[in-house]
Amino acid sequence: MKWIVNDLNIKKQADDLGISIWQTPSLLFLIMGIISIIVMIVVYFVSRNHTSPEYLILAETFVTVTIFVAGNMIITSVEKLTQINKMKSEFVAIVSHQLKNPLTGINWDIELLISKYKKGLDQKQLDIIKKINGSTILMTRLVNDLLDVVRIDQGNLFVNKDKFNIEGIIKKTIVKNESLTRQMNVEIRVEISDNTPQIVGDEKRLEVALDNLFSNAVKYNKEGGVVVIKVEKKNKEINLCVEDNGIGIPEKEQAQIFEKFYRSEKAIRKETGGTGLGLYIAKNIVEQCGGKIWFKSSEEKGSKFCFSLPLA
Amino acid sequence: MNKKKVLVVEDDAILRQALTEFLEADNFSVIVATDGEEAVKFTKNNKPDIILLDIILPKKDGFDVIKEIKEDDNTKDIPIVLLTNLGSLSDIEKALALGATTYLVKGDYQLKEVMEKIKEILFLKK
Repeated sequence: MKWIVNDLNIKKQADDLGISIWQTPSLLFLIMGIISIIVMIVVYFVSRNHTSPEYLILAETFVTVTIFVAGNMIITSVEKLTQINKMKSEFVAIVSHQLKNPLTGINWDIELLISKYKKGLDQKQLDIIKKINGSTILMTRLVNDLLDVVRIDQGNLFVNKDKFNIEGIIKKTIVKNESLTRQMNVEIRVEISDNTPQIVGDEKRLEVALDNLFSNAVKYNKEGGVVVIKVEKKNKEINLCVEDNGIGIPEKEQAQIFEKFYRSEKAIRKETGGTGLGLYIAKNIVEQCGGKIWFKSSEEKGSKFCFSLPLA
Repeated sequence: MNKKKVLVVEDDAILRQALTEFLEADNFSVIVATDGEEAVKFTKNNKPDIILLDIILPKKDGFDVIKEIKEDDNTKDIPIVLLTNLGSLSDIEKALALGATTYLVKGDYQLKEVMEKIKEILFLKK
């Protein structure tokens, strides 16, 4: 069984947890077991020769103390690991939060400049400002992703219950990714009927989820590829699918792609930038909003990622 | 139409200025407060139509500001939009329980979107 092998691979476990070998809970547990067995054998031989209750009680106390001490060491080790983990989460939360204020300042000032004080700027200047804007959008996305991951880990991801038209976030997502789409030379199609009913969920967060699926579909596409966003009403839900004819996900990696920090080998070869957080976050957001997320993919043919959301 | 009065409570000068300029360009009249005490004082004296409130503020934090505004009969009906970068579940729940109308995480919103929210609240209410 896989978990037994994992448990016995103590060197790897210590590396994964970032602690020394003798601190790994599995090793401590093994030691505790071995000591207990040895002690019991000793007790057995002792009790065979000495039948007086004093000896037996002494021997039993010895066994209890051994288990207690070893058990205590295991608990301390686990506690320490949890504490380190919590500190890491808090560190990421504080840093990202501190980054957010200045980033908001940059974003808002660029927006103010472009939307209200554009007069007198020539095309070249505007182009440069747009490039700056593109970079800060990327950076904002990264900081938000980190914060979201910490919140998901802490079970602290809040979602609003907005009623809204899904078309709005589709439009915003397409606009937001315009330069990426142009760069990749990918064609975008949207299939949605005019009378699509409103859905319920966190509009801002679902925009993030859709953005993650959509930007993947564009990024991992082929030159001149197509991305289709399709919205359908099914019973009491709306299904939204993002389909591409890009590089696809190898079958052996498909089970892992929703895992935190997981990046497909193929994805890394195609596009080195990326954190492996997009799908993990998208999944958590959709599920927190009461929906489901799923996908189909075949290598070299493309992927189709869908999520469902309850109607308003 | 009378200009709607917005109280902006924000201690970060850059954010405050961007908000104020954008609001004024959108034909709002703007009052600014840079800490929690000013926020309460200006609310009582000026009766704004809506308040944009940060949470981490000098002298008195946003949660206390909401409490005081909601305790006063003259000001309790003024909608409060929290505009903050604190976005954890516990902060949001606390603010909404105290009576904030809505909660926007600053970094996630463009100024344009903040304006849309403000208008939505002001004109749905009337």
